[in-house]
Amino acid sequence: MLPTPTKAAEDSATAVAVSDLRMRYGDRDVLCGVDLTVRRGEVFALLGPNGAGKSTTIEILEGFRRRSGGEVSVLGADPDTAGPAWRGELGIILQSWRDHPRWRVRELLEHFATYYEHPRDVDELLERLGLQEQAAQECQKLSGGQRRRVDVALGIVGNPRLLFLDEPTTGFDPVARREFHELVEQLRDEGMTMVLTTHDLHEAERLADRIAVLIAGRVAACGTAAELAVSARAQAEVVWTDDGQTRRQITPDPSQLVWELQQRLGGPIPGLEVHRPTLEDIYIRMIREGETQ
Amino acid sequence: MTIRRALACGLGRGRLEITHLLRTPREVISQLSTPIAFVVLAMVNDDAIPGSALPMANVFIAGGVAAVVVQTCLIALPQVLATEREEGTLLRQRTAPEGMTAYLIGKTCLLLTQVLIGIALVLAGGAVFAGSGLPAGLGDWLTLLWVLPLGLLAMAPIGAALGAVLPNAREALAWSMMPVLGVMAISGIFFSITSLPEAVQTISQLFPPKWIAQGVRSALLPDSALAAETGHSWQHLQALGVTAAWAVAGFTLAPRVLRRMARRESGSRLAERRTAAPA
Repeated sequence: MLPTPTKAAEDSATAVAVSDLRMRYGDRDVLCGVDLTVRRGEVFALLGPNGAGKSTTIEILEGFRRRSGGEVSVLGADPDTAGPAWRGELGIILQSWRDHPRWRVRELLEHFATYYEHPRDVDELLERLGLQEQAAQECQKLSGGQRRRVDVALGIVGNPRLLFLDEPTTGFDPVARREFHELVEQLRDEGMTMVLTTHDLHEAERLADRIAVLIAGRVAACGTAAELAVSARAQAEVVWTDDGQTRRQITPDPSQLVWELQQRLGGPIPGLEVHRPTLEDIYIRMIREGETQ
Repeated sequence: MTIRRALACGLGRGRLEITHLLRTPREVISQLSTPIAFVVLAMVNDDAIPGSALPMANVFIAGGVAAVVVQTCLIALPQVLATEREEGTLLRQRTAPEGMTAYLIGKTCLLLTQVLIGIALVLAGGAVFAGSGLPAGLGDWLTLLWVLPLGLLAMAPIGAALGAVLPNAREALAWSMMPVLGVMAISGIFFSITSLPEAVQTISQLFPPKWIAQGVRSALLPDSALAAETGHSWQHLQALGVTAAWAVAGFTLAPRVLRRMARRESGSRLAERRTAAPA
């Protein structure tokens, strides 16, 4: 059967498609039916508390772990059976690594460039990550921040179409974190698709086009930060002054309420404040709800 | 095409690992220690081989050659594998296309270099400083040319499998050191084997080190030294049989164990081990 044109267009626009993904260790279900779609060119964050199944999910997508059930397609292939050509399209940045301690930065990057069809230029990479001065240094002699930049360089040296980042900024100081965020934004501007895991909501909000909130092995919500607020049926609080008295009202549609108030009062609304719940409020509530379930 | 690239990456990796070995003084010293120890042992011992007038130096030099093979394969290799597993080097290889193949090719290059340098040092050192002989003719050199590669093929997969199953580098050392030294002790590496009880001699015949050492002696010594050998013959057929059997067993077992190890490596496992390991 030939795919219909719409289906084909959909496929070329999709980097990762996951449906009903399940993972079971012994009698413990770590993932209980996860559904995700990552579009090409977007930054997608898997957000969740520790133990929610983020790392398990990303490792299944990377082809490092075999799933117990469900359908997974990454760049059009099943990670469990895909070959080296598929792997060459992926870049992976994991949590703090100490590998290749005796290798010098430049020789390590040059060596890893040889594994790929269309690698990046190592000099350009060193310059971009501010590692020129460390090029001749052994990896074990680098500072923590420099070492992480080497990890990033190794993750993108193969010029991947899809980059996985597992808790990329864990242990970063604020400056390193900022620099890292800027780098991710540059890569996104170049059109690289990225899937990252984080337990830091602000990181997800800052970097990701879309966020999936993973709680207790399920996707509790998925969408842009704004959509998440709606999907969590966020209740905004509207405050105003009426006859010298402070009035407050909780509403899912503050715009509608303000419009009604204006009509009722026939003009500006004194002391108007509209409080929308922050994403953080919503996220915390989701985690609490997940815990009580 | 991918196979050619994997080979190129693996050879490049091997070349770099050899460079790293040579530029790390600690590694160079530990590489040299076994050859030097055996050459010194051969130099200071003036005894004759029991039942002949030939110098014991030859026994120590042959033992040194076997010791280099055994130690590199069964102590150094498992330790390096376990260490690189812990550091995440193996996981990094897993992220690259054909990375594990390249890793194994690279390690093979390194292992061969280490063994060749060690053997050359023992043989040359013995010949220059301890008066042990070099193989006398083409036949004796050919003996070395089958005994040593076969010995390597028998030992290296076992070492690789050991490195893959042991939980970490410290335990790899603890678990491999005692049995390996034990087998070496009864294999005629440190002294002539005929002075040992018959039962111990029989046990030693089950393991390759005895046959590697004996094979090397057969290349260094004339037949007048046979009085000190088990069975009063060089027993090439038995040597071939036992080492080949270990090689077959090793090459059956090791790829499975290594594949399993490679499959299991992941970021979260690495993180788990990191938390479990003392800093």
